[in-house]
Amino acid sequence: MSLTDLIYLSQKSLRSNILRSVLTSLGIIIGVSSVITMISIGSGARQEVEEQIERFGSNNLIVRSQSSSSRGVSMGSNSVNTLTLKDMEGLKSELPAISAIAPRVSMSTQIIANGNNWLATVTGTTNDYFQLGNWKFEIGREFQEDELNSGSRVAIIGKTVQKNLFGTDNPIDEIIRINKVPFTVIGLLDAKGGTAWADLDDTIVVPLKTAKQRLVAKKFPGDQIRSMTINVSSSELLFKTEKDIDTVMRKLHKISANGNPDFVIRNYAQFLNARQESSRVMSILLATVAGISLIVGGIGIMNIMLVTVTERTKEIGVCMSVGAKKRDILLQFLIESLMISLIGGCIGIALGLGVIFGVSEYFNWKMSLDYISLVLSFVFSSSIGIIFGFYPARKAANLNPIDALRYE
Amino acid sequence: MIKIKSLSKEYIMGDNKLLALNEVNISINAGEFVSIMGSSGSGKSTLMNIIGCLDVPTNGDYFFRENNISSYSSNQLAELRNKDIGFIFQNFNLLPRLNALENVILPLLYSGKSFKERNTLALDALENVGLGDRIYHRPNQLSGGQQQRVSIARAIAGSPKLILADEPTGALDSVTGIEIMKILNDLNLKKITIVLVTHEDDIANYGSRIIKMKDGKIIEDINNVSN
Repeated sequence: MSLTDLIYLSQKSLRSNILRSVLTSLGIIIGVSSVITMISIGSGARQEVEEQIERFGSNNLIVRSQSSSSRGVSMGSNSVNTLTLKDMEGLKSELPAISAIAPRVSMSTQIIANGNNWLATVTGTTNDYFQLGNWKFEIGREFQEDELNSGSRVAIIGKTVQKNLFGTDNPIDEIIRINKVPFTVIGLLDAKGGTAWADLDDTIVVPLKTAKQRLVAKKFPGDQIRSMTINVSSSELLFKTEKDIDTVMRKLHKISANGNPDFVIRNYAQFLNARQESSRVMSILLATVAGISLIVGGIGIMNIMLVTVTERTKEIGVCMSVGAKKRDILLQFLIESLMISLIGGCIGIALGLGVIFGVSEYFNWKMSLDYISLVLSFVFSSSIGIIFGFYPARKAANLNPIDALRYE
Repeated sequence: MIKIKSLSKEYIMGDNKLLALNEVNISINAGEFVSIMGSSGSGKSTLMNIIGCLDVPTNGDYFFRENNISSYSSNQLAELRNKDIGFIFQNFNLLPRLNALENVILPLLYSGKSFKERNTLALDALENVGLGDRIYHRPNQLSGGQQQRVSIARAIAGSPKLILADEPTGALDSVTGIEIMKILNDLNLKKITIVLVTHEDDIANYGSRIIKMKDGKIIEDINNVSN
């Protein structure tokens, strides 16, 4: 008996009881859709983390000012600037694990150019900032040494700023007014896209000295800075260096080991780990749901196939009387349970895709669908169909022809 | 064609042993039309089921076309049923989900014939029993007589040497019953051996030989001269 004949006969009997077939495959439907969702949440999170690392650079720590008077209560960390360029020099000389430090001052201010105006975050920093933040230039160039040292009015702008001020026109050598001070655009950064909380491309970068002299002189007097991004030479040294920075900073700021620090060290890896951890928990949850429902679904299939075998005992007898061998009967029932589970698998895949689409749309979670999850779903559901269909099918095949024929 | 030597069949019902067949000996030649008669419990159906390889004897030997099939495996028996034997049942035993054509094709599926070949054979068989215009009807859309003709078509589609009919007219009115018997008679004229089980005298009378059974034994075996 050929496979097509078997499939033809199986679909005939499944179709004669279509509601039952679909209900039977419910467990598989839920199981498979969970598998798909689980895998795409997992790989989506991994991909997002990779993208974040790509965006922000790996092995980076950020040291920020923090009001020391706040005992557990944030007083608004914007209000005080406790970090200075001296701290930066101190860290650099004390900790060889630090390969680069980019200082940063920043303000949010009005930009006017080309008859348009726009509110953007202006950052004053050095060239290390681009390297540490994985910024690439679409056109133009970094700051030159003398521009940094002399406080030249040059600016490098992000994609969003370009779009709002110049449209698609080349902004290089155009003049923009930052807080009424004219700057010449020397570079355009490649787009990084937005994160859930900010548009990274809505940025303007100027030399640190220029910013301190002309834009934020009041906000950041002397050698005060807002934060510094620190690059550690290798990821193994990241956590050790984080502790070392804390020690050195406490020494520089004369804060005892158990005193409240006036700075905070952000480890980006920590944040990414948390993100990965939460998606892992979600995946475990879904894997449990998937596992349970696949097993329950399998048992459901077995149950219904046992009922079917009993219901169709006489029919099995008829088939045997006209020459069906054990193998033919076994295969027919196996293919029936396989078809139930594969139908469940297909509906489950459709449902899973719906869930993935819905979740990524409404929660703005990154979900990625890979072919592996589709293949895996098919493998899962078909093996469930075969494993749980085998016992009923064998029961059918082992019937004695005359007993089956006489069964009422 | 069929040689049965001291064949016994025992059923165990709880503590009792029921001897359905007790040391039965028969031989049936190719081309014969044998009617087996007897009241219920006489062992006639058991005998036919063993002849049809649906059941196996407890003791004794059964030679089908010179082969001792007492030692056959279930697969070999299935093949024998498929190729050499056709069954006609009292209650037709058609598969309700399949149409007439598909029901007739069923045995041909198991014999592994090509799609084209089995279609031709099944259509011929349905044509032979006068159902060429009802091939896409399902059993529940056919009358009893028509259903029995489908089951005859199914029995003959694989050109068997032997047809076993178990009370083929039992569920039919007498006029339809006569039509069915005529078809069987025609098949016998084409040299197909027929073994018929019945308890009705006028149906048994179609046979060229009548075997009467009682309590698992053959009590009479006569040539039917009136036929």
